[in-house]
Amino acid sequence: MSSSLRPYLTCVRSSLTAAMSLCDFASEVAERHNVPEIESGKTPEVLLNPITIARNEHERVLIEPSINSIRISIKIKQADDNEILLVHKFTRFLSQRAEQFVILRRKPVKGYDISFLITNFHTEQMLKHKLVDFIIEFMKDVDKDISEMKLFINTRARFVAEAFLTSFQ
Amino acid sequence: MLLLDYHNPLLKTILKERFVKPAAIDQIISDFDGVTYHIFTPEVKTKILISISIKCYQDLLQHGAEEVLKREYGSYITETEQGYNFSILIDLTALPEDPEERNDLITRVSLLRRHTMAAPFEKAISIQQSLSAEAATDPSVTTKTSEVMTIRYRDEEAIYVQASYDRVTVIFSIVFREETDRVLAKTFMQEFVDARKQIQMAPHVMYRSDPPLEIRGLPGVPEAGVAVKKGDIVYITFVFFPMHIENKAKREHAIEHIQTFRDYFHYHIKAAKAYIHSRMRHRVAHNLKVLNRAKPENEMEEKEKKTASGRTFKQT
Repeated sequence: MSSSLRPYLTCVRSSLTAAMSLCDFASEVAERHNVPEIESGKTPEVLLNPITIARNEHERVLIEPSINSIRISIKIKQADDNEILLVHKFTRFLSQRAEQFVILRRKPVKGYDISFLITNFHTEQMLKHKLVDFIIEFMKDVDKDISEMKLFINTRARFVAEAFLTSFQ
Repeated sequence: MLLLDYHNPLLKTILKERFVKPAAIDQIISDFDGVTYHIFTPEVKTKILISISIKCYQDLLQHGAEEVLKREYGSYITETEQGYNFSILIDLTALPEDPEERNDLITRVSLLRRHTMAAPFEKAISIQQSLSAEAATDPSVTTKTSEVMTIRYRDEEAIYVQASYDRVTVIFSIVFREETDRVLAKTFMQEFVDARKQIQMAPHVMYRSDPPLEIRGLPGVPEAGVAVKKGDIVYITFVFFPMHIENKAKREHAIEHIQTFRDYFHYHIKAAKAYIHSRMRHRVAHNLKVLNRAKPENEMEEKEKKTASGRTFKQT
């Protein structure tokens, strides 16, 4: 792990753990409704201050806590066309499987590549620290994977080009 | 299977079978670039009619396709079938005796597309050679170039061939429909350009998104920088030097190899995409596993437990 990644992830981990103290909260706007307050935003007093943790200008995490739900949005590093393409494909792949990934939001928050929405129901059913682990692991792997795939494309392209051109000798 | 075959494998297999055991057949085979073959036994089992339909046949005729085909297929050429561009008829009762020759015939027929498209390339090479011979005595020839031969082999894509005294230039215009393909193609093309550093003998490769100077102003070529959506169409130029075409074997190989370029290029872009896709699928499965770790294992409570004597009980 690179030297700047470790403190970044540590910071995200502790902020997430702190933000993830959720409790049941019935909607105050509509009777017998129970919605994630961070999404509805109709009760401003239960929304907490959002936090942005940035590693550099290309990579950052936005944590938006509220009384019964938190939203975590991740911006993944995209240095060139290839990375933009790969990140786009990968996040699309994930969002299409949002049903299986209970906590995944189908659509990322504007300006970010992928968003998670964790409600009090999730934290009741699942282990809180493991949920944090999941987010951290995801962040750790995604960069590695994208750069590996990019490397693969380049290697393949070189191999293919050389195979074609060698044949003319 | 890194490089593509030059012949049509299906056509070859069918012919091989039929040469041994004649049987009635009526089959249409497709090949790259919208080329279709029709294999048909119109009257008797032993007479196979093979027709090819190729989009750019009119272009090819202008550049001497007829002579090339005559040279390759000679007496097998027959009246062209309705709806196709060129036909050959093989009489299985009058095949050459020698198995070598038979194999040669099979190979030649399965290379039908390659031979049909070879004419402009052959013409360019022969122009290059005569210009180069002239240039030895008359230096003014060095500025002369042949006309650009256009092969419109697909709806929106074409191959342009041009010869001058020291080179033969082949330009492909390739259209990329999808953004993904475009991005990948760029990486691939860059590697084609860079590969020359590794392989000294390779032909010169260049790519650009506006038409190269050689083909500007030709019918069907968009003006530089207008009309087309940016990045939609890409021009890849191959420059062959005399060393690539110095003898017959090399010439023949260069012709058939360059013909496969577009398909080869697309094939590997698709292959790279497929790999990325399967890799992501794998990654998603892994992520899901990590997420599921967060779910407490409550099956334990429901599981029946056994006492030492083998009786079961439920924990309350």
